[in-house]
Amino acid sequence: MKTNDLSILDTNRARYEEDLTVGKWFRNIWVAVSTAFKGMSITMKYVLTVKPVTIEYPEVKEELPKNSRSRLFNDVDNCISCMQCADACPVDCIYITAVKRDKEAPKLKTDGGTPIRLDLKQYTIDTALCCYCGLCTVACPTECLTHTTDYEFAQYTLGEMKYDYLATDIRAWKHRIVE
Amino acid sequence: MHKEIADFINSKVSGANACVVEAEVGDNLIFVEASSILEVCKNLKNSDYDMNVLQCVTGTDYEDRIEVSYIIASFTKNSEVIIKAKLPKTSSEATVAIDSVCSVWKSANFLERETYDMLGVVFTNHPDMRRILCPDDWEGYPLRKDYKVQEVYNDMVVDPPEKVNKADHNFFKEIMEKMGDEKKVAYSWKQEEPESAQ
Amino acid sequence: MIEINGKPYTGQEKIKSDLLTLNMGPQHPATHGVLRVEIKTDSEIIAQAIPHLGYLHRCFEKHVEHIDYRGVIPFVDRMDYLASMSMEWGYALTVEKMLGTEVPKRAEYLRVMIGELQRIASHLMFFGTYAIDLGAFSPFLYAFQDREDILRIFEELSGARLLYNYIWLGGVWNDVNDDQLKRIEAFCDKMEENLKKYHALVGENKIFISRTANVGVVSKEMAYEYGATGPVLRGSGVDWDLRKERPYGLYKELDFDVIKGEGLKGQVGDCWDRYYVRMLEMHESIKILRQCLDGIEEGSIMGKVPKVLKVPAGEVYMRTECPRGELGYHLISDGGKTPYRMKVKSSCYTHVSMLPEMAPGMMIADFVAAIGSIDIVLGEVDR
Repeated sequence: MKTNDLSILDTNRARYEEDLTVGKWFRNIWVAVSTAFKGMSITMKYVLTVKPVTIEYPEVKEELPKNSRSRLFNDVDNCISCMQCADACPVDCIYITAVKRDKEAPKLKTDGGTPIRLDLKQYTIDTALCCYCGLCTVACPTECLTHTTDYEFAQYTLGEMKYDYLATDIRAWKHRIVE
Repeated sequence: MHKEIADFINSKVSGANACVVEAEVGDNLIFVEASSILEVCKNLKNSDYDMNVLQCVTGTDYEDRIEVSYIIASFTKNSEVIIKAKLPKTSSEATVAIDSVCSVWKSANFLERETYDMLGVVFTNHPDMRRILCPDDWEGYPLRKDYKVQEVYNDMVVDPPEKVNKADHNFFKEIMEKMGDEKKVAYSWKQEEPESAQ
Repeated sequence: MIEINGKPYTGQEKIKSDLLTLNMGPQHPATHGVLRVEIKTDSEIIAQAIPHLGYLHRCFEKHVEHIDYRGVIPFVDRMDYLASMSMEWGYALTVEKMLGTEVPKRAEYLRVMIGELQRIASHLMFFGTYAIDLGAFSPFLYAFQDREDILRIFEELSGARLLYNYIWLGGVWNDVNDDQLKRIEAFCDKMEENLKKYHALVGENKIFISRTANVGVVSKEMAYEYGATGPVLRGSGVDWDLRKERPYGLYKELDFDVIKGEGLKGQVGDCWDRYYVRMLEMHESIKILRQCLDGIEEGSIMGKVPKVLKVPAGEVYMRTECPRGELGYHLISDGGKTPYRMKVKSSCYTHVSMLPEMAPGMMIADFVAAIGSIDIVLGEVDR
């Protein structure tokens, strides 16, 4: 690879070593001081008049807007295993397995009245892969899969980021984070 | 406009064989012979059409050929045209070659390097034909349709099974064995059998 | 070994020392992400700069070949993560052009408003980080304070702060309410005052002017040659704005001016011009926002788009004016549910390719100013 002609270095050096007259030197100082003073006065105005806007996080917690897309929650009792969420998911992080419900078993319905014809055996979302785009919640016909406004769910290991929504401890979230 | 440009190319460059493909939806295309691409570009830039900006060099992989598209625009005349050249492909690993247009527009430098990196199109007479987005020791050309990811790269396993949730993907197999009836099980893993997921 | 005028450089020429190779980045704060520039310097002055890209490469173009058209939008967000809305808008327009979808008027108004708010947010980000690059810290905080207002509105509309997935094919996701419209209006009033303050604080400052005027000059010819677009092209004194030249959305009906660099503090096309173009563009955005607030009508926000989306076979190239320059989507469809090939022409990528020509003869500190002034986002460069 060739560099450009090195004479460009000399011409540019000249730019940095510009000739100064005494008048120019003083004028430069005056302009620099006056503009810096102008800037500092704006800064001082901010210091004196603007109230702090930072939220002191662990002590003060921010309330997120209602439709905020945070931690996913699936209410498995209302899920009809239609797999539309898994189809819509662009990163394929939802794993569902369901088996046909016995004909003799008592008939189940969701809160909205849709009959449940499949027994859910696995409903796992790997939230470490999830991109929180919200496409799955839009696709959900029974509105059982929702984004909650709960945002504190950092974990130490990747395995803990995988949520098995059939597990009892995660089912218990229903009362905590879903209205 | 595309007809005029095609006629102009044919009159200026012999053997360019420019032909317009009228599209039902989207933009019209102009196909030219790959060997004449440099002349075509030069003529378009220094003509009344004043195509002074090369927007984009890109390629598309088809089964038997790679189509390289040059999207050229004029910022003075407010026009834009897609010029395409077909390059026959012999195998999935072999590169194909076409003339570089770096001497016409300097922006072609990086754009052509990207096309080389992604599709394995070698631009002859390019000043610096290296990979740009992938590392230098990468194998294969990612945007070809038959591209396969390396299994091991620099002693690192690409997509190790514990990281791609193999166990969760295969959970349905366990259930199937337990049930003994495959038709009763519905599952969401699309990649294996896309039809039965519905 | 580098060559100068075809002869190997021996170190015996005019300059009596070898060139020093330095790596700027990929973790350098002034490179705005993970850009690595290998620079060969003679003391403080750069003789050659070679950008090395790809540290943030996620092969977006390969990914989307396996994803249906609606699922692409979250991926599009992740390209230019500071102007996600503009990225989405461009993508939506591309697919809508293929489908022939008509977008309802209210959705169009919302798109323009969101697009302009995003432009202000993105330029504020530029303003803050550019000041940091040149050694001023407080403008960064002021800019973020204003940007926060925009992000709040976006958060309420879409549910996310950075990667929105808000502009959908055929319309937008959520409707805006009166309270939010009022807040946007209040924001416009506040912003107009603040922008003047910011310009007095930074743009008129003597130190800032000597750091940026006559530095990193991009002439008109060079801008054309390298395919520069957006504020970089306009900073070089070219009257070119896609919103005027090839209006999309509602821009045909809106009244605004195209800002171009005039070389007020130095040559046309220097870093100061690019800075000033962005500052004035924010004023124009506010002007557009006010017109939209007056004109917004009631109505639906989603057009008719089939549930199972199949785009007819064909090819389209659609350009939109994003805060950083023109964004082009080249979509090739084979009539299926997923794109056959999608190429994104990113403006930052072409702007990075200008660095090797801009750099020789600059001081290292000026090079930082030059990188900052072309305002690149590495997510868009590497895709």
